Amino acid sequence: MSSPTYTPNPRSSTQNADVLVKIFVYAMLIIFAGIVLIPFFWMLSTSLKSPSELFVHPPRWIPDPIKWSNYPDAWTALPFNRFLINTVYTTLLAMFAEITTAAIVAYGFARFRFPGRNVLFLVLLSTMMLPGILTLIPKFIMWRSVDRIDTFTPLTVGAWFVWGPSFVFLLRQFFLSIPREIEEAAILDGASVPRVFWDIMLPLVKPALLAIAVLSFQGNWNNFEGALIYLNTLEKYPMVLGLQFFGASLSREAPQWHLMMAMSTLMAAPILVLFFMAQKYFIEGLTVGAVKG
Amino acid sequence: MYSWYTLTLVDYVVVGAAIFASMFALFWLLNKLGVNRETATGYALILPWVLGFLIWNLGPIIASLYLSFTEYTVLSPPTWIGWDNYVRMFTDDRRFWDIMIFTLAYSLFNVPLGLVGALITATLLNQNVRGVGMWRTLFYLPAVLPVAATALLWRWMLGTNGLLNVLLSPFYNLFNVERPAWLTDPKMVLPAYIIMGLWGVFGANTVILLAGLKNISKDLYDAAKIDGAGRISSYRNVTIPMLSGTLFYVLIMGIIGSLQTFTQAFFIQHTSRAGTFMNVYIYQQAFQRNRMGYAAALGWVMLLIILLFTLLVFKSSAAWVYYEGEKDE
Repeated sequence: MSSPTYTPNPRSSTQNADVLVKIFVYAMLIIFAGIVLIPFFWMLSTSLKSPSELFVHPPRWIPDPIKWSNYPDAWTALPFNRFLINTVYTTLLAMFAEITTAAIVAYGFARFRFPGRNVLFLVLLSTMMLPGILTLIPKFIMWRSVDRIDTFTPLTVGAWFVWGPSFVFLLRQFFLSIPREIEEAAILDGASVPRVFWDIMLPLVKPALLAIAVLSFQGNWNNFEGALIYLNTLEKYPMVLGLQFFGASLSREAPQWHLMMAMSTLMAAPILVLFFMAQKYFIEGLTVGAVKG
Repeated sequence: MYSWYTLTLVDYVVVGAAIFASMFALFWLLNKLGVNRETATGYALILPWVLGFLIWNLGPIIASLYLSFTEYTVLSPPTWIGWDNYVRMFTDDRRFWDIMIFTLAYSLFNVPLGLVGALITATLLNQNVRGVGMWRTLFYLPAVLPVAATALLWRWMLGTNGLLNVLLSPFYNLFNVERPAWLTDPKMVLPAYIIMGLWGVFGANTVILLAGLKNISKDLYDAAKIDGAGRISSYRNVTIPMLSGTLFYVLIMGIIGSLQTFTQAFFIQHTSRAGTFMNVYIYQQAFQRNRMGYAAALGWVMLLIILLFTLLVFKSSAAWVYYEGEKDE
């Protein structure tokens, strides 16, 4: 921002001050980076330790020996194969429905004039404020009345009704930034609305869709509250509930930190990989709503 | 064998197909009624959300309002008891006040600290540093981790012999204080949660605020410079007002999020009774003790508190949030 290159006549005193500012800035950033990375590294390091090494003083950052076997041990301590299938299954179903309907609704709000549009959009935004726990009890009763407790249905089918208002908001911003002429030409050529939406609009908002895909994946992959309330058979647990189960029961009295950190790492790994792959779009998608709004 | 996968798949396909069918049906119906094409298309396209709002938001809100005036144990139908749940909450439930104070105190520390910390970091990153993208990714890392993993990790690090106490022991020796028992001492549970919450949230806020900072036009700073403004003065008179909209967004989302802290508690497993969050208490009442009516009343109090805070921030925003005369759209 106020860097010396923008001043017409840089004086040496301001230049000295700028060097000091630079040193201060980098020093602070390195400290903050340490605060972020140390716990993260500790998780990885713990996940590769033998139990006897957990409480060694001073703490050992690089385990000796490196126990790779913690990972298969953690994986087989509970039926994590089953948990993984359950997690992937519910995540993919919920993601697909959530993204599809969010895109359709966002397109409707961005491109078509109809009475009550602005009021409805405000209502949509205000639902972000609703505490989820408030609607949870009636929802639970509803799912119980159609006999869907302890099934994956409550975790997936609701996604057809636009779960995240923030996704609609984000996609609407992206649709608004596309010039109208592009679709008008297609409509003049006689293309139908679904055709315009699918062939023209969706490819243009690909970055936003990718960002939402990552966010949606993250949300469903980690959906603890829903799983906790609706599922009660171990074979139906997703990974997050398996992890909690392990920590709260099998590992309560004498916590097996090496195994729990291995499980945490395994749970985090797909999200980390996705995040790094889609990073550019992800950051863009995350910030557009907050800044433009 | 695993027929529950099939069951859900059938539910999923049926509901999905029903949604699309009803969109086409609505469009056709509105067209028949002579509504113009654009309006009909618009309504048809937003139908999934309208249905969702009615079925998953409005209906449940009204239902839980009704339930909050009843006693409902799932096994027998709800019986109307008037204001009893609310009266009991405020006069007869000693845990309620502890939990309410704890939840509010957590937000009171967590939100401002997270905002200021993120603002400082974003400001640092905006000083033409090399490799902004790398730093940004790095700071965002905690927000990418599953909350479950983060909470377990902190439970591990906050133990009496955990990493945090080991790293801080020089300070403890310097000031001659005991190692805090973060998760067993009732007084330390709040700081423990605040530390954990800050680590998780500050990166996400940093990324949003940094985007806000980058959005401020250079011309404004140049103009301030010509007017003789120094670093501090231009930060106060240009940066903060121009960033206030973004700050506002982060503040509101922060309050809403922190008042609803839930998942962490199930992974932290601290041993003291102090330090229960309101949402966890509601869950316990509803699903462990089967007091659905009382839980609904607690939920409504939570909603009113969130609305109150949001309203306060909105009201005060007139004084400190600066909007450009023209907004896009």
